[in-house]
Amino acid sequence: MIEWISFVQVAGATMISALLVVGLYGLGVRLQAVAEDQNRNRTLQRAGSWLCFGLCGVLVLFGIILIIPALHSIVGL
Amino acid sequence: MDPLLLVVIVIALALFFDFTNGFHDTANAMATPIATGAIKPKTAVALAAVLNLVGAFLSTEVAKTVSHGIINEGDGSGSVAITPSIILAGLMGAVVWNLLTWLLGLPSSSSHALFGGLIGAAIVGAGFGAVNYGTLVDKVLLPALAAPLIAGFAAYLATKLAYWITKRPSGSASPRRGGFRVGQIFSSSLVALAHGTNDAQKTMGIITLVLISAGHQSKGSGPEFWVVAACAVAIALGTYTGGWRIIRTMGTGLTDVKPAQGFAAEVSTASAILASSHMGFALSTTQVASGSVIGSGLGRKGAGVRWRTAGKIATGWLFTLPASAAVGAIAAALTHLGLPGLIVLIVLGLTAITGIFVLSQRQSVTHDNAMADVEASSAAVHIPSKKERRAAGRQAREAASQARKARKAADEAAKQAKEAKHQAATELRDARRRLDRDDAATRSLRTPSAATPADTLDAAADAGSGVSEPSDVERAADSRAVEPSNAGGSRTAPAAPEGQHRPESNPTQER
Repeated sequence: MIEWISFVQVAGATMISALLVVGLYGLGVRLQAVAEDQNRNRTLQRAGSWLCFGLCGVLVLFGIILIIPALHSIVGL
Repeated sequence: MDPLLLVVIVIALALFFDFTNGFHDTANAMATPIATGAIKPKTAVALAAVLNLVGAFLSTEVAKTVSHGIINEGDGSGSVAITPSIILAGLMGAVVWNLLTWLLGLPSSSSHALFGGLIGAAIVGAGFGAVNYGTLVDKVLLPALAAPLIAGFAAYLATKLAYWITKRPSGSASPRRGGFRVGQIFSSSLVALAHGTNDAQKTMGIITLVLISAGHQSKGSGPEFWVVAACAVAIALGTYTGGWRIIRTMGTGLTDVKPAQGFAAEVSTASAILASSHMGFALSTTQVASGSVIGSGLGRKGAGVRWRTAGKIATGWLFTLPASAAVGAIAAALTHLGLPGLIVLIVLGLTAITGIFVLSQRQSVTHDNAMADVEASSAAVHIPSKKERRAAGRQAREAASQARKARKAADEAAKQAKEAKHQAATELRDARRRLDRDDAATRSLRTPSAATPADTLDAAADAGSGVSEPSDVERAADSRAVEPSNAGGSRTAPAAPEGQHRPESNPTQER
C-alpha cells in the first residue's frame, strides 16, 4: 500500500541534488577566492569558477524541467 | 441554501486561506538575502511573489492528492458522498485554527491545519468511510515525518560540504565565503518557487474537490486552469503583502545564519519540496524548511541541539493535525443542523476571522511575531560564534597551562620533600657517627689495646658514608658495614640526635 519506492526516490533526489548544487557552487566560490591570491593564473581560476556556477545553474534548470510534464520534450523524456 | 452560493463561499474561503499561507509562510524565504544585504527589499519581495506565482503552475500532483486521494469524492462504489458544506466546515476549521495559532505565536503548519480540518469535518459529516486512510498515511502523514528529516540530513551534509570545500588557510587575503551571499539570492528564489509548487496546490485541490462534490467537474479530473491561476495569484499576493510586513521588522534583528550555511539549508529545502511535489506528497513547507535550518546548524563547527526548543517545535507540529481536526469536526457537526446550522457556521467563522484580525492589529509587529516558524526553529541549534569558540579555546589553553604549572609545582614539592628527607637522614647519620665515635673513644679509654684512634674511625666512617643500626654500633665501627640504601630510609630522624651528648669540637662536615 505504502509506496516506499517514492520515499527512497525523494530522499535520493534531495541528497544528490542538494549536495551537487552546494558542492559545485562552493567550488566556484573557492576558485573565485583563490583567483585573488598572488602568483595565480587569475583568468584560469575565474573561468573555472564561472564554469562551476554555470554547471550549477544547468543542474537546477534540469531539475525544474524534470518536474514540469509540459517541458519533458525539451530533454527528450 | 443554493449549492452554487455554497461553492462560491468555499472557493472564496479557500483563496483567503491561500492568501494567508503566502502572507505567513512563503514570504520568509526572502528574509535572509534581504538581511545580508544581497538583494534590495523591493526586488526581493517582488521576486518571491513572481516565483510563487510561477511555481503554482509547475505541477498538479499535490492538488490531485488533495482532490481525489485523501477524501472519497462520492457516487462511486464503496465511496462516500462528500458535500460542499462538509468541505466548508473543514476549511473553516483550518482557517480559524491557523489564524488562532498565528495570533498566539504557536508553531503550526498551514498544511496540517488544512488536512486536519478536512479530515475532522469529513469524519463527522460523512462517517469514517469518507477518509481514504491509505492515501492519508502514504501521501500526508509519512511525508510529514520523513521530509523534514530528509531535508535536515541533506542540509547537514551540504553544510559540511560547503565549509569543507571553501576552507582556506587563514592567512589568505580574499574573503573566503563571500560568494555564498550572492548565491542566497538564487537559493531563496528556489525556495519561493518550491513553496508555490506545494502550498498553492493544496488550495487548488480543495477548490477542485468542492467543484467535484457539487457536480461541476467530473470525478478524478485535475484542477481547471482558472483554479490554478486563481490560486497562483492569491498566494503571490499573500507573499507580496507578507513580504512588506517582514521588511518593516527587519531592523529588529535576525538569527545569525551565515551565508554558506543559509545557502546549504535553502538548497536542501528546495530540493526536498520540489522532489516531494513531484511525487504528490502534500507536506508542510514550513516543517521542511525548519528541518533544513536545524540540520544545517548542526553541520556547523561545535554546534549542539537545544532539545527543549526543538521539543517545543515538534510538539506544536504534532498538535496541529488533531487540534484542527477537532475544530473541523465541531464545524461539521453544525452543518448537520441543516440550513440554520450552516448559517451559524459561516457567521461564527467570519466573526472569528475578523476578531482575530482586529486583535492582531493591536499587537505591534515585532521580530517575535513577524518571523515565522522557520526562523524560530533555528533557535533549536546552538552554534558557538567565533568569539565563543575562541573563548572556549582560550579557556582550554589556560586550563592546560594551569595543569602544567600544577604538575611542575607538584614535582618541585616532591623534590623538596626528597631533599628534606635526605637531609634528615644525613643528620641522623651524623648524629650516630658522633655517638659511635664517643662510644669508641670511651671504650679505647677503658681498653688501651684497642688501637683504633678516633680520627681514623672518623675518616673511615666518612669514606663509607654508611649508616649503622643503633643496636650494633660496635660492628659498624669495626667493619664499616655499608648499607647506602638505608641512608634515605624512613627511620625517624629526631630519635637519635636529640638528647644525646654532642661534642662541641666535632669538626665533621658532611657534603
